[in-house]
Amino acid sequence: MGDPTGFLKNNRKVAGYRPVEQRINDYSEVELQLSEDERKLQASRCMDCGVPFCHWSCPVSNIMPEWQDRIFKGEWKEAWELLQETNNFPEFTGRVCPALCEASCVLALNDEAVTIRQNELAVIEKAFELGLVKANPPKTRSGKKVAVIGGGPAGLAAADQLNKAGHMVTLFEGTDRVGGYLRYGIPDFKLEKSFIDRRLDIMKEEGVVFKTNSYVGRDVKINDIMKEYDAVCITIGAREARDLPIEGRELSGIHQALDYLTQQNKTCAGDKVCQDSLIAALDKNVLVIGGGDTGSDCVGTANRQGARKVTQIELLPMPSKTRTDSEPWPLWPRLHKTSSSHEEGCERLWCISSKKFIGENGKVKKVLACKVEWVNENGRFNMKEVPGSEFEIEADLVLLAMGFVHVVQKDFVNELGLKLDARGNIDTGADFKTSVDKVFAAGDANRGASLVVYAISEGRGAANAINEFLSK
Amino acid sequence: MPWEVGLAETHQTLVLNDLRGRVRLQTDGQMRTGRDIVIGGLLGAEEFGFGTTTLIVMGCIMMRKCHLNTCPVGIATQDPRLRKRFAGKPEHLINYFRFLAEEVREVMASLGIRKFNDLIGRTDLLEVAPNSHWKAKSANPSLLLHRPAEADKYATYCVQDQIHKIDAILDRTLIEKSKNAIEKKEKVSFSVPVKNTDRTAGAMLSYEISKRYGDDGLPEGTLSVDFNGSAGQSFGAFLAKGVTFRLNGDANDYLGKGLSGGKIVVVPPKGSTFKPEENIIIGNTVLYGATAGEVYVRGVAGERFCVRNSGALAVIEGTGDHCAEYMTGGYLVVLGKVGRNFGAGMSGGIAYVYDVDGNFDYFCNKGMVELSKLDNDEDVSRVKSMIQKHIDNTDSEHAKNILSNWSSTQPKFIKVMPVEYKRALEEMKLKELDKKLEGIIEEEEIGGKA
Ligand SMILES: Cc1cc2nc3c(=O)[nH]c(=O)nc-3n(C[C@H](O)[C@H](O)[C@H](O)COP(=O)(O)OP(=O)(O)OC[C@H]3O[C@@H](n4cnc5c(N)ncnc54)[C@H](O)[C@@H]3O)c2cc1C
Repeated sequence: MGDPTGFLKNNRKVAGYRPVEQRINDYSEVELQLSEDERKLQASRCMDCGVPFCHWSCPVSNIMPEWQDRIFKGEWKEAWELLQETNNFPEFTGRVCPALCEASCVLALNDEAVTIRQNELAVIEKAFELGLVKANPPKTRSGKKVAVIGGGPAGLAAADQLNKAGHMVTLFEGTDRVGGYLRYGIPDFKLEKSFIDRRLDIMKEEGVVFKTNSYVGRDVKINDIMKEYDAVCITIGAREARDLPIEGRELSGIHQALDYLTQQNKTCAGDKVCQDSLIAALDKNVLVIGGGDTGSDCVGTANRQGARKVTQIELLPMPSKTRTDSEPWPLWPRLHKTSSSHEEGCERLWCISSKKFIGENGKVKKVLACKVEWVNENGRFNMKEVPGSEFEIEADLVLLAMGFVHVVQKDFVNELGLKLDARGNIDTGADFKTSVDKVFAAGDANRGASLVVYAISEGRGAANAINEFLSK
Repeated sequence: MPWEVGLAETHQTLVLNDLRGRVRLQTDGQMRTGRDIVIGGLLGAEEFGFGTTTLIVMGCIMMRKCHLNTCPVGIATQDPRLRKRFAGKPEHLINYFRFLAEEVREVMASLGIRKFNDLIGRTDLLEVAPNSHWKAKSANPSLLLHRPAEADKYATYCVQDQIHKIDAILDRTLIEKSKNAIEKKEKVSFSVPVKNTDRTAGAMLSYEISKRYGDDGLPEGTLSVDFNGSAGQSFGAFLAKGVTFRLNGDANDYLGKGLSGGKIVVVPPKGSTFKPEENIIIGNTVLYGATAGEVYVRGVAGERFCVRNSGALAVIEGTGDHCAEYMTGGYLVVLGKVGRNFGAGMSGGIAYVYDVDGNFDYFCNKGMVELSKLDNDEDVSRVKSMIQKHIDNTDSEHAKNILSNWSSTQPKFIKVMPVEYKRALEEMKLKELDKKLEGIIEEEEIGGKA
């Protein structure tokens, strides 16, 4: 630890976002970066704890204290070497991770957490700037072939690790571009897609083969893969979106959030979107149903498209703004968060249930909603409609962002006969093995909709398991 | 070493020899739960120490920065900003210990034991849990669980108070004879014989004084006791202000331990023929932790003279190894040869050594101290006055010779001073000067305005 009293001398300083008036007009990243000198001071706030909880709460077990010290000393190469040992893609997590580490940072116990996420980003971007991150193909090959199905962060991490271990990796991606939700889902203003391409170029040079437009179960037969490869890693995400089957659902103007977000990602990438299927928010009253991060991404996108008004509703009550006793440090607290997108203009309502969509000429115009209460009955919270609380919300574009139920089962998961868990995701043990020989699963497909950092950690875990399986 | 091993062996051995009833056994090290305590009891302990756990209860998060003054939860720090963050409360500890006690009761109830004493050493109530760890294979805990047959006839826990044998010790006489000095501050002097089984002579006497007058003690020269003979360990320990012990004879180790303002003089018995400055007349580890007072010894000391002295003044005619070790304050004059490792870890106070052979440099541990000559009036007058006092108290021929040939002996004196201590003193002096200067400037300004 470079400066044992750094945390007493420097306050937490986040770089913040570009001004709303400016950022609302484009899709470039909203978050700013600190200067190098300021970044070093932020790193000096790390106390190099005897028991570092950041490390414990991080799914990929980043060893933060070690690299914070290197940042403080300006030893960027060493910092990067330590970071890339545990995290394949710090440039993704450094941008979009909710930073479980910061919630459990020891400094956050009675002060403000170290800016761990942004420090991580500084390390990897500096490493790219210095030309340290380059292709480093394995010296020897094992001769074993592994198929990775699904090119999200889980698939990418698994492919990267397996390739480094010397196996020949082919990654099958159903869409036209690799990246999963990083590519089509997370808006460009949170994660610019050039950063994915920059990483993919290195992985290609190192020998990973990417097959896009290769949707397994449609473009490619799972049986062919099973025949050709020594091991298969399934990382297809948990993409079965939750729907809202209420009266009027068939009206036009009601879309799944992911369809909407994907379209904008494609537009940003320069693709032409067919006019008939265009989902546009321009001059519309947009209603986002679902109060989570996907919903928030819809809010930011709708505002950029020039929506007249954006409303986001959520069934659950508004979470507390500060930690409650039921989630003491160092646990991850569910807190009320205001994202950069919310700052850009949005009305947010909690404890609201949608009862029916009301339309005109086949197009949605309004949503009939009501207030609900959550009553504690014998320790279980049950939802009760507040009598007489019905009201209407003007909406000519409705976006459903209510989360994902489980993995998509119909395309090849069922065909393979994979055992599913209680929630409908692919069942594996701690060793990422599915019920079918030589088939492994990781990421959202295994644990249900989660986070990028968990996807990476699962991808790494599965790669380890596969490596062990192949070395037998 | 896990506490279980040491505890079991200690307990069993004490029981075997019928000594267990005379002591209390305490164990500690990763004690956390009531279950730990009961297991400790079954293996033979009746007292338990808690370290880490209690810290955790008070908010410790195992930062392991206790040595850096940066403890972020305000426990191991003196930094006021960090101490503000301390969130522990006595109630937290009370709660923890209440739960511990509760759990102990529960475990005892499940064993059918009514009193804690009844479970001490009951290894028959312990059984070895199966453990498949490869290391466990070669471990055989049966010796830990052995219960000596003697446990049936001898005590297995503390049943007997310690007999201190302090009813008829020398201090009782001293206190009795000093009654008027202690109670009425009258001048008292008397003389008593002393022998080497009289330990810690003067400590209880000093207690009687400090109980009444605290740190102030008695007025200078109120009580004066002459001892004749060979004094036991810790002669004059904690001696209070206003008391002078004069010993005609010799003393064992720990003389003047924790000296608290009193004066101790040791001289060879009348009629002895040896050269005092060449013969050891007091033992090792003298003035350990002394905070104030004076010691004059006409003769040589053993090892570790003035170790951890933090304020007493001492004059001696020669010492063994490690003199002035870890000294933090006070003044010391050695009028003769010293042993090796002089001044190791010395961080405060000043020592002056009469370097007869000119080789002191070799005997000194210069890790923390620097050496110089007596080159200023302050040092010269300090050393001279200390030697004069030594003469006044001991009538030392050796000291008289040094003083009467001062022009030729002064150059042989070496001043030993801790570097950091010197720096701190100089800074303090500078600050004083600054203050004075400021005062003068202010005065001038006020004068100017007027
Ligand atoms: C809108 C949105 C915003 C998010 N924001 C964040 C955030 O800010 N921070 C964060 O940490 N997490 C965020 N998440 C969650 C995070 O993106 C996911 O948890 C993570 O991407 C899961 O990774 P994965 O690799 O398991 O699956 P995915 O990212 O879902 O990738 C699965 C891939 O498999 C492909 N695929 C599916 N089926 C097939 C098939 N049959 N054949 C071939 N390919 C197939 C898909 O096209 C896709 O590329 C967000 C999610 C969404 C939807």
